[in-house]
Amino acid sequence: MKAKNYHMMSGYQKVIYHLSLFFKNLPHNLKKFFKILGKAIACFFIRIVEGFANFGRTFSEGNKFTKLSFLIMGLSCLIYGPFWMGLSFFLIEILFILFIKEFAILYLVDLTTLGTQAEVETFNEAKGIMEYITADNSMLILLYSVLSLVVICIFIIAYIQSTKECLNAQHRHEREEQAQSFKMMLRSLKDENYHITLLSIPTLLLICFTVIPLIFMILLAFTNYDANHQPPGNLFTWVGFGNFKDIFGKNAIKSYTFLYLLQWDLIWSFFATFLNYILGMILAMMINKKGIRGKKIWRTIFVITIAVPQFVTLLLMSKILGDNGTVNLILERFGLQTIPFLTDGHTARIVIIIVNLWVGIPYTMLITSGILMNIPSELYESAKIDGANAAVSFFKITLPYVLFVTTPYLITQFVGNFNNFNVIYLLTGGGPQSTVLYQAGETDLLVTWLYKLTINYQDYNLASVIGILVFVVSASLSLIVFNMSSSVKNEEQFQ
Amino acid sequence: MKKSYKRSRKITNGIIYIILTVMAIFWLSPIVWLLIRSFQGEKGAWITTLLPKQWTLSNYTRLFTQTDMFNYPLWFLNTFKIAVFTCIISTLLILMVSYCYSRLRFKSRKAFMNLGLVLGMFPGFMTMIAIYHILKAFGLYQSHISLILVYSSGACLAYFIPKGFFDMLPRSMDEASIIDGATRSQVFWKIIIPMSKPIVVYTALTSFLAPWLDFIFASIIMKDNYDKYTMAVGLFKMLERENLYEYFTRFCAGAVLVSIPITILFICFQGYYVEGVAGGSTKG
Amino acid sequence: MKKFVAVFLTTLLVTTALFAGGAKESNSSTQNTKPVDMMEKETVNLKVWGSIDAQDLLKEMVESFKQEYPEKEYNIEFGIVSEADAKARYLEDPEAAADVFFFANDQLKDMVKAGALYQIAGSYKEKVIAQNGEGSVESATVDNKLYAFPETADNGYFMYYDKSVISSEDAKSLDSILAACKESNKKFYFDLSNSWYVASFFFGAGCSLGIDENGKQTCNFNNADGLSAANAIKELTASPYFMGGDQSVLTGGMGDSLAAGVCGTWVANAMKEKLGDNYAATKLPTFTRDGEQVQLGSFAGYKLCGVSKVTKSPVDAMKLAQWFTNEQNQLLRFEKRGIGPSNIKVAAMDEVLKTPELAALAQQSLYAVSQNDVLGTFWGPVEAFGANMEAFNYEPSIQAQLDDVVSQITN
Repeated sequence: MKAKNYHMMSGYQKVIYHLSLFFKNLPHNLKKFFKILGKAIACFFIRIVEGFANFGRTFSEGNKFTKLSFLIMGLSCLIYGPFWMGLSFFLIEILFILFIKEFAILYLVDLTTLGTQAEVETFNEAKGIMEYITADNSMLILLYSVLSLVVICIFIIAYIQSTKECLNAQHRHEREEQAQSFKMMLRSLKDENYHITLLSIPTLLLICFTVIPLIFMILLAFTNYDANHQPPGNLFTWVGFGNFKDIFGKNAIKSYTFLYLLQWDLIWSFFATFLNYILGMILAMMINKKGIRGKKIWRTIFVITIAVPQFVTLLLMSKILGDNGTVNLILERFGLQTIPFLTDGHTARIVIIIVNLWVGIPYTMLITSGILMNIPSELYESAKIDGANAAVSFFKITLPYVLFVTTPYLITQFVGNFNNFNVIYLLTGGGPQSTVLYQAGETDLLVTWLYKLTINYQDYNLASVIGILVFVVSASLSLIVFNMSSSVKNEEQFQ
Repeated sequence: MKKSYKRSRKITNGIIYIILTVMAIFWLSPIVWLLIRSFQGEKGAWITTLLPKQWTLSNYTRLFTQTDMFNYPLWFLNTFKIAVFTCIISTLLILMVSYCYSRLRFKSRKAFMNLGLVLGMFPGFMTMIAIYHILKAFGLYQSHISLILVYSSGACLAYFIPKGFFDMLPRSMDEASIIDGATRSQVFWKIIIPMSKPIVVYTALTSFLAPWLDFIFASIIMKDNYDKYTMAVGLFKMLERENLYEYFTRFCAGAVLVSIPITILFICFQGYYVEGVAGGSTKG
Repeated sequence: MKKFVAVFLTTLLVTTALFAGGAKESNSSTQNTKPVDMMEKETVNLKVWGSIDAQDLLKEMVESFKQEYPEKEYNIEFGIVSEADAKARYLEDPEAAADVFFFANDQLKDMVKAGALYQIAGSYKEKVIAQNGEGSVESATVDNKLYAFPETADNGYFMYYDKSVISSEDAKSLDSILAACKESNKKFYFDLSNSWYVASFFFGAGCSLGIDENGKQTCNFNNADGLSAANAIKELTASPYFMGGDQSVLTGGMGDSLAAGVCGTWVANAMKEKLGDNYAATKLPTFTRDGEQVQLGSFAGYKLCGVSKVTKSPVDAMKLAQWFTNEQNQLLRFEKRGIGPSNIKVAAMDEVLKTPELAALAQQSLYAVSQNDVLGTFWGPVEAFGANMEAFNYEPSIQAQLDDVVSQITN
């Protein structure tokens, strides 16, 4: 098939065409993806080197005040203006020194060992009890060190910026230009620098509650923080790549569990995403069909199930489908064999996918009904003239249209399902337990396994490794598909 | 010819009605089951009969009278308070971030967006423990503020759908007003926001609902402090093994009561929800 | 002027740096010399964790504690954390956890290893040893060091049954129980997908658990005895008169569709409510192992009261924990909640011995295995095996499944 015939193809052929294109381009796109990734990393380092080079240049070009500004941040700005800028740089420096002295240094000194002081126990005769000198808390040392390092990084950026600004101030002074006033700065924050205003608070929140915890989590993967090395009673320390080796074959049962669960995780996310999607769309089409009455009522019925909190409905489902649940009670009443919906591995997997349909279809129904209304009706009319029946026009027009329009949504859904904690945890809790998996059940996803490892078994190091691997899988999946789908979309013109 | 066409259409419609009815029964039956159980007089999660033998309203009344252990009304208030603040803060943040990515062009915009996409993909559980200790270091331990902060910070990564929505709005309008001398901040507040009612409602609705649904993070933050619990954590506690027998029917009653306001919200704003999400998710 | 600014700022910077360095030391020295005001009563803040059913009783005990020690102002807070969850909740954040908390003794070793428990020494230790049953003291001891106060001695299980369906003679063996169930078309409840219960077959058949010198679990559930136990489990689960499921099945169905069930004292009140005059309890029955009758074993557990190692007021926490577990309060616990005491004197009282469920527990205790030597890795794999049996899942073979279970436990 050649691209020039593209506009003459029917919708169905277009889908085939795109699918073939997709797979044909897969190796190419993968290569491109890694090239871009490599470039980005290289860029990052080049930027750092450039930063240092600039830094040196600034020093050599500066006069004595600018040179002194390397020690007293913002000095040139204070002398030549803008005064507010110099003052804020200076305050940043003071705060930073206080921070290092009062907080960071206490933890950073132990970062390489994660603490050495073990617990000391002595008997106090007078009180009649034991007394303890508490051990170093490796976890807090690690966490606060990460916090300190992030603050230091931010400070370094501010520091380099300050030297630049000081040189600028000096140059402005030499050229006898007016410095930017405080008012002008405020005004620019509302206009050409509005993105700084908009992004500052979200970025700060993200650094505190996402970035720092993430770095902490990633670092845990290189320690031996498990049930046998738990703070506060015990110290843990760095072990390098040992945990990764365990997962990739050194420890047979752990690596088997990982592969087993990864496989199920992928199967699950595939079915959970696409079945929900297609069936939800069919439901939306049925409700939206001309001549069907009570559209609002039908829609509301399904919306109600969204409104009941998911943890309630899923827990109910687990009670209804349990071995002695309502469904089995009914089966028994009619003299039928009861079904181990959630206690047999294979059945449980199927049941989970079906229950997830119950949860997910109303959502897809809502989303796709909006899109379905936007499909130009000429498409259908021309199809009808060609004698296409309902099924044909569904496969040739509706499905391709909606599919292409919602690719990004599908990807987020897929990744969301890959990490779908709620459905599994509330419905089966990962069970039934398996005799061949390491602390995991037949229906556990990688995330629920990770959760169990931390909460029930305190195997934080292993859990971190899994967290990192889960991330690698979902991030590369979505970045690749995103880049590809955007390139597909550009040539894709339905309207 | 025309008659048979009409008849076949009638038949297909009939089949559709049947399918819809069957599906509606399937979809509603767990909820009906929940309702029935909330009126059940016998204790415990498991009864040998399909319908309870005794019917009672006491499951509902006891939620509000026996409050010394499980303080349902207080949980309701807590959750409402957290939900209102989270809703305001995170709606603002999400819209700000989305507008920024959609309309403003600045250095490293793409990098920021990709970073946001990537950060959202780490499984959250591992980080929760770290978040807990960071909050503790800030002295925000076991407080509602900490929950509001964390819910709002998570929202900063949810720019995807609103950004898609903003992308679809015609750019000519705001470009014209910038030429007329409006600042970008004015464009955002006076032009974009008023045009984006569906997406504003959509973001507000989803962020308002988040605190009602999250049980895992809230329970990690609040631990044993029952009076600070949110609805979801409290209800979840009722189903723990040792409370199940005594509290199962009350759990059902509590769940029914929580669902009512959410259902009303959903039904009222359904249209906006559809418009918002459909508009936003179609454009990447 | 410019130079002045530069010099001024430099000095400011240097002094800040120096001040910041010195500030910490002076802070800590003021803390040490904090004067104690002798006129006012010292206020002590403590937090106690107990299960939800125990809350009222704990409050009552705290009131009497305050009267006993009026010289201090006690400000005691309560949290609801069950004995089963104490370890997990505690380790999430020891500083936020309770000062005094109750837990089941199988968590002791893990908690000691994690440095959670305050060692009990001196006169406290002597009193505990003198007043409590040997098994309960042993259950709180690691390497001759005592880490908790024994609270109850009833964390085990036995059988409840409906007198109108099963005679006391029938209740002695599994086969006759199932036969009686068949006659009345009722069922026998045994939660075999729960490792705590399913282990009773293995213990009955002569298998054992232990801990080797490296602190790892040892387990021989996959030997010939284990296989025979597993076959007995298989047979029981295959019977149409068997019923599994969690505890709510028993509390909901006893008397209606169930004629007998295995559980512990905590469901005694629900059982009495359901069965009324037909209420009866006894030791576990015997089961058929390769043609001969063998008594089912069980786990014997104790509930303990521990003091957090990071508590701010160890002396008071220690006193409170001792108070919760003394003779007077163990008696109170028995009277109010029917819980079996670990205190020797209370356990020997007539009322205690006459209670059917405690008597049953005492009978079963002859065949019970201590829960001391069970580590966290035991529960998951054994549960998986039980679930497989309930689901009639015999692939791979039972022997292979047992091998997997043991290799996981001892891993």
